Amino acid sequence: MAATRPGVRPGRASQRRLAILMVVPALWFVGALILGPLGYSAVLSLYKWSLTDINQAKPFAGLANYRKLIDDPQLMHALQNTVVYVVASVTVELVIGFLVALALFQMTKGRRLANSLVLLPMIVAPVITALLWRYIFDPQFGLVSQVLSSLGHQGGIDFLGGAHLALPSLIIVDIWQWTPFVVLVLHAGMLSIPEERIEAAKVDGAGHIRVAWSIIRPGVIPQVLLVLLFRTMDTYRIFDTVFVLTRGGPGGATETIGLYTYQTGFSFFDMGYAMALSMFILITVLIISSGYIHLLRRREVFR
Amino acid sequence: MTDLAHGAPVRKRRRPAGFSVASYAVVGLFLVWVLVPILVVTVNSFKRPDAIFTSTPHVTFSPTLANYHKVFANSQFMQFLLNSTIVAAGSTALSLAIGVPGAYALARLPVPGREWWARLILFTRMVPAVALVVPIFVIFEKASLLGTYWALIAAHTTFNLPIVIWMMRSFFEDLPIELEEAALVDGCGQFGAFRRIALPLSSPGVAATAVLCLLFSWNEFLFALVLSGQKTETVPIGVSSFIGTVSVDWGGSSAAAVIALIPIFFLGLGAQRFLVRGLTFGAVKG
Repeated sequence: MAATRPGVRPGRASQRRLAILMVVPALWFVGALILGPLGYSAVLSLYKWSLTDINQAKPFAGLANYRKLIDDPQLMHALQNTVVYVVASVTVELVIGFLVALALFQMTKGRRLANSLVLLPMIVAPVITALLWRYIFDPQFGLVSQVLSSLGHQGGIDFLGGAHLALPSLIIVDIWQWTPFVVLVLHAGMLSIPEERIEAAKVDGAGHIRVAWSIIRPGVIPQVLLVLLFRTMDTYRIFDTVFVLTRGGPGGATETIGLYTYQTGFSFFDMGYAMALSMFILITVLIISSGYIHLLRRREVFR
Repeated sequence: MTDLAHGAPVRKRRRPAGFSVASYAVVGLFLVWVLVPILVVTVNSFKRPDAIFTSTPHVTFSPTLANYHKVFANSQFMQFLLNSTIVAAGSTALSLAIGVPGAYALARLPVPGREWWARLILFTRMVPAVALVVPIFVIFEKASLLGTYWALIAAHTTFNLPIVIWMMRSFFEDLPIELEEAALVDGCGQFGAFRRIALPLSSPGVAATAVLCLLFSWNEFLFALVLSGQKTETVPIGVSSFIGTVSVDWGGSSAAAVIALIPIFFLGLGAQRFLVRGLTFGAVKG
């Protein structure tokens, strides 16, 4: 399929030269700033060195950093938190996102306005999102605590400082920021379902719920896979909001794999191990996403 | 249901069915949930401290611009705004300058193995910034680039360039190829066909892509945290320093957040149609 795509008069030598001239800067940049550093990381993860003596000799350590990775209780703990974060956020985002997209799809008026308002959270910088929710979750003056106290609940709740509430609170922040993405992608998917299919089902006497379940739900499976791909990848590497709101605390309750890697490198200065962790994140992300991409290519969402 | 119409003039339009009412309710509720945090911070930015830090909040308060005066008088925050602008503009310009020709070549020209290259670039979208920031930090440290604008511009180009290539490639592929063929017949040359035909015709796509790059760069946090120096810190770093401190200046930080949000909302609404397309690497045309 790839070779048959149209090109303007392929085959001429001058064209080929121009093609290479145009594409080489981009590929050079990708090589120098993405693939190069990743390769560098792969090599240096085999050495033992810390940032405090960056220019001193780094002893070759073989797979020592990777052996450490296998039985590092802190990494296991961070992975556990990350998995909870990924599964909870993505599930809730998908369910709410589908329902809201469905509702948007039924609307006849004000759909454009609603579309514009819905997208706002996902263009807010994660750091500013963290600031918004820092104020909403404040135990004394935050919106949630004030509403609770007006309902008669005594004493503020420390959402971000409580060992059991911190992780769910971060998940709520993710849901706020990214459910809109799910809504917009699924809504676009619903709009691409041929109208005759929905009309035909209605003529056959199917009710709204029946149409939603039997026509619309299967019709947006490619978009659901797409959402799963991007949301799983992005929640797995979550960093910004966690770093700003809790720094992994209290007592490691919100330590995620991204945050742990950052701290290993830039708080504990163990660069060799940080690079091994980087490799671990990279490889696990690639495994997860290649599964989804395989499914998506079968449905021809990605070529 | 008939109670609602009681006393009102009889309306001719068919009353919406229950399912449709429920739809509006669901969307309405969701919009409230989406907008409340943004409204809270906006309202806070107009409040005096004693109106924020109260255990008995009032619906009404006398608004003040004091917080905004304070932010604009703060030369450090103005520096953050300037730095963010330089980095976002620089990274966007660099990504477009090398990405648009590359995208055209990958869409139209006989690049050896072009599908393979395109896939490689899609792969770079999967690379987590956390995995990239550690080696980039070490390399830039050795090259004495830390704390310069170039460090941030180059780092932000690592995520903007793949977006430019995939977005623009799909825009170029959507153009009818006959126009470029006609230009070639008229003796334009292949590069002329790109510069005089394909590029002007896809200028809306270039504009939308530029907006997305500006947006992603303006919002980026991790690279800015690790690679910036005192003189190159961007707005997200400035805002994050508000949150960490013990005695938070709610009014001031809210005003700063609102100021940082305004350009983003304009950009985001301007590129609304292409936002999802960019975020999904062209898979959703929207």
